[in-house]
Amino acid sequence: MSFLTGAAALLWVLGGFFFLSGTVGLLRFPDTLSRLHAVTKADNLGLGLILLGVAVHGASVVLAAKLLLIWMLALLAASFSAHLVARSHLRDEASRDG
Amino acid sequence: MTAVALGMATFLLLNLAAGLLRVYRGPSGADRIIAAQLFGTTTVAMLALLATVTAQPGLFDVALVFVLLATVLTVAFVRLPSRSQEREQ
Amino acid sequence: MAELLGWVFDALLALALLLLAARVVFSPRLFESIVLFIVFGLLMAIAWARLAAPHLALAEAAIGAGITGALLLSTFRELVIGRTPSPEAPRVLVYRWHGLMALLAGGLFAVLGWALLSIDVPTGPVAGEQAMALLARTAVDDAVTAVLLDFRAYDTLLEMGVLLLAVLGARAALGSQGPASSDDLWTDGEGDTPMVGALVGMLSPLIIIMAGYLLWAGAYGPGGAFQAGAVLAALGVLLRLTGRIVPAPRAGVVQRGVLVIGMGVFTLAGLLTLATGRAFLQYPESLAYPMILLIEVALTLSIALPLVLLFSGSAGIAAGRSQHSP
Repeated sequence: MSFLTGAAALLWVLGGFFFLSGTVGLLRFPDTLSRLHAVTKADNLGLGLILLGVAVHGASVVLAAKLLLIWMLALLAASFSAHLVARSHLRDEASRDG
Repeated sequence: MTAVALGMATFLLLNLAAGLLRVYRGPSGADRIIAAQLFGTTTVAMLALLATVTAQPGLFDVALVFVLLATVLTVAFVRLPSRSQEREQ
Repeated sequence: MAELLGWVFDALLALALLLLAARVVFSPRLFESIVLFIVFGLLMAIAWARLAAPHLALAEAAIGAGITGALLLSTFRELVIGRTPSPEAPRVLVYRWHGLMALLAGGLFAVLGWALLSIDVPTGPVAGEQAMALLARTAVDDAVTAVLLDFRAYDTLLEMGVLLLAVLGARAALGSQGPASSDDLWTDGEGDTPMVGALVGMLSPLIIIMAGYLLWAGAYGPGGAFQAGAVLAALGVLLRLTGRIVPAPRAGVVQRGVLVIGMGVFTLAGLLTLATGRAFLQYPESLAYPMILLIEVALTLSIALPLVLLFSGSAGIAAGRSQHSP
């Protein structure tokens, strides 16, 4: 197994670990906002590692650029989504208490 | 190498299935949408892995489309009025 | 080892799809059904990828995960607000004649299965193989696009007609309903958050570029008019959700033009080929690629706008507020 494929496999396993931790956080954390935090942070890091592994395995600059674009957009989408969901949740809490 | 990629894809699929538990439990709509975020990110990762397994570069474009449209769903969700979780039964 | 893992993955995927479908139908909570339906769409895209159908995966991503999900959530919103009478808890409908229906459905299934099994395995060249052999003579390199725009162009033309009919039918069903009231966004009264403006500003050009790329890439890979149109429609949905586009009771001339331009350009191309002595839509060799590209551009627009209109539930769309305003 060449160095590149070994590195790719390692990156994939590492990414999978972060995906797992995101899911564990989603299932085990006590309230909505902490679950949001777990999913947003861990999953996108896991995605970055997996995409990095795919880029390393593919060994092509064009592919790496495309995957980098995908990851950047994923971070963008995740940030916006987290902000919107958290705001909506806080608004719901306020309307229920107030 | 394809074995490793497929193994990872299977692992991610199981991960996704585990996340479904949160959709079942809730308790609020926000929790379910957060789970949907997990599903979306997992799907993008699975597509990237499958693209290497089956040598289909078109799947990267599918992943791009997914990522671009991921926010549309969240925007649709946050338009729900604040009493939504009390009405949903 | 890889093949075994492939089987395991596919089996898990199939099982997940079945269980999700069952839960979507039987869940007591409507919102949960909606979220699970969206997940179902995500897994369907993966299934298409596994079946080596990236065109379908693209379409599923744009429509299933983007547009349909937003459509269902918006409908759920209408139910919750109470503008439409909210249904009691959804339950599975049981027909009175369910026994007879099951028998008939089973009979139909048996007949179809028998018909399928009694088809002889062809020994001569199959249509698919013949098409692949002729692929080199078409102007495009991608098999699916060649079939849609060249071998079976007439079918695609008629499908555009179907889409147009759907929009006209929806318009007729709407009757004289005016646009939704202006309070249909951010009902908590807080108004827009600046993040949404930034989101729309950043995503809109990216999505347009993506749609253009998909349109162009359809000639040699997954993509094409339908996928590009669906992605543009998803952008339209985003703009509608954030108030940049609002429903309008009438469609202006430009919008009506966009609705028919797909069919129009396609038919015109066919008539031109007829006029020069060829069969309908038999492209001249030298002009085939530019003609196909031009037709696809028109098709993209004529696919995007109807989808947006079906989402906004109106005859036309108009520009809404363009910036954060109190």
